[in-house]
Amino acid sequence: MLGMVGRAAEGFYQVCRGLWTVFKHSGRPPTTKEFPDVMPELPGAFRGRLALAVNPETGEHLCISCRQCERVCPDKCIDITAHKSPQTGKLELIDFKIDHGLCMFCGLCTEVCPTSCIINTSDFEMSEYSRGALIYDLKRLTLSQEESAYYFAKKDLPPPKPKAKPAPKPEAAGDAGESLAQQPSDVSQQPGPKAEE
Amino acid sequence: MNSAVFEIGKFARLTLLWLCIIFGAVWGVSWSIGVLLPAVILSQSGESGRFWAQLLQALVPVVAVALFVPLNTCYMVLAERRLLALFTVRKGPNRVGPDGAFQTVADALKLLLKEEITPRGADLLMYTLAPVIFFAPSIIGVMPLLAAVSGNHPLFTPVNLPTGVFYILAVSSIPVVGVVMGGWASNNKYSLVGALRSAAQAISYEIPLLLSIITVCLLAGTLDFVQIADNQRGSLLNWNILGGGALTHLGIGSPWWSIAAALLLAACCILLFALYVICACAEVNRTPFDLPEAESELVSGFNTEYSGIKFAIFFLAEYTNLFIVSTFAAVMFLGGGHAPFPGLEDACISGLRGLLAAWFGACTPFQLGWLVNSLVNPATVSQVFWIIVKSYALVWFASLIRATLPRLRIDQLMDYSWKRLVPLALILLIAVTFLKELV
Ligand code: SF4
Ligand code: SF4
Repeated sequence: MLGMVGRAAEGFYQVCRGLWTVFKHSGRPPTTKEFPDVMPELPGAFRGRLALAVNPETGEHLCISCRQCERVCPDKCIDITAHKSPQTGKLELIDFKIDHGLCMFCGLCTEVCPTSCIINTSDFEMSEYSRGALIYDLKRLTLSQEESAYYFAKKDLPPPKPKAKPAPKPEAAGDAGESLAQQPSDVSQQPGPKAEE
Repeated sequence: MNSAVFEIGKFARLTLLWLCIIFGAVWGVSWSIGVLLPAVILSQSGESGRFWAQLLQALVPVVAVALFVPLNTCYMVLAERRLLALFTVRKGPNRVGPDGAFQTVADALKLLLKEEITPRGADLLMYTLAPVIFFAPSIIGVMPLLAAVSGNHPLFTPVNLPTGVFYILAVSSIPVVGVVMGGWASNNKYSLVGALRSAAQAISYEIPLLLSIITVCLLAGTLDFVQIADNQRGSLLNWNILGGGALTHLGIGSPWWSIAAALLLAACCILLFALYVICACAEVNRTPFDLPEAESELVSGFNTEYSGIKFAIFFLAEYTNLFIVSTFAAVMFLGGGHAPFPGLEDACISGLRGLLAAWFGACTPFQLGWLVNSLVNPATVSQVFWIIVKSYALVWFASLIRATLPRLRIDQLMDYSWKRLVPLALILLIAVTFLKELV
């Protein structure tokens, strides 16, 4: 009998403690993110929509059509069309397609890219009315000069070197081998925490 | 910290806005039907209009309740959502109207416009009647409370019953019929399980609830709400939750057994209140006793198949019931419309009077008082104010409970009622009977 009273008192005490704990929470600032009104502050390493960067200074396309991203992609959602330029004998990019409906945003392609051309942007609002619209072609993928500059700064990437060799076409990158040797380690190095946008 | 205070301030603002809407509307309609229109009719047509004037006055309680119930539900749902948001560190609805004040109005409109679906194999008559049977008692049941909450205002006196407590308890056991009907008629296993659970739960928890109420009636010596409320006139010490004035009888010279009995009586009454709160939560299917609706187990319990207006009626009834049990507790335990510290209240009122007189320099306090008195009854205002404060405090407390406690299992639920609450209620009944004589 006494034990029961004791247990009842204990239970009552615990319930009151629980109520008090919950009540105290009303004094804390809400954690709600009001998304469409207030855009979230995403870190630089956020893996959003894929895009192809251009050289922020010169505006030339960074892709050297090395197809590393195409090969590494687990989903095989990257489709690169390139051919050897008859004049220079260099690879020339014709089209670059990424099926964002298939992509799982693993970021592997961005890690292997020797020129930090393909990057994950902070954009995640990409709903469409059809699956076909999710396949982005070269035009939709390529960022403007300002956007590229923004993401290079945000992700803390090393600025790309201007193509020194006599490259008649912007896509025909002359120093492919050189960049291949030094860039990957730089790209895979994680950008530090960011507070931008 | 700042923004948390901001959120609480928003909640307070919402509450004030809604209370003004609710009670302004109820008062306005009551006043125009009960005072203005009869006066106009009498002055126009003399004696021949007396019948119509009286009919209008008799209609006041009905109209007041019919207006109050939907408005109040709108506020309560909103307040509950905002409070739960506060307790779980969120923001809650804040899109429709200022601070989301009209979110529930929008929800209600949406519900009314929605298609009504009747499941295949449903018993149409029962299916349609169930929400009505569930809802009607909360409108009928609230009537005798009206006189008590309005300080026995002449317009609401006719609905007072000498056996009001008995009447409310009788009426409040009807909704479970509606629940079982709805659950059975919707031809859905989950609904049926929810309905049967509800029946078992309502029957089990009605007994300790009744016993605790009976004990309070025993203490007060009457079944009349107005008298029960009036018996608690005075201060906090006179409230039934502290033994209904047992503590105030104590003096320096009182014998020791009298002091001990009074203290014990107060303790018993606090326990009774706790008992009442627990059983009331179970009666109105609130967490932690919301097994009839257990979303995680039964989809939505007995009202799974309901949509549109019928679902809205279930919803309305549920929140109205919560409000009724809160008001009931306020009248039975928390001193009805009486202030906890009447001296303080009087001081505040006279201070306010002075302030108003200073503001309206041209208008003398006498004229102002006359203006106010012609519109409202000052005694009623104080009573209604305290009833509102107490009832809504209890409603908010129910939200706090909902935010805290997890749901019970069905066997624990039954155990808890029959093995713990019923014996406790019986012990308290006997204890209070004897202690009352000893004090
Ligand atoms: S992020 Fe992953 S899945 Fe998407 S394209 Fe790059 S490698 Fe393929
Ligand atoms: S890895 Fe980079 S440079 Fe190579 S094809 Fe892909 S995007 Fe172009």
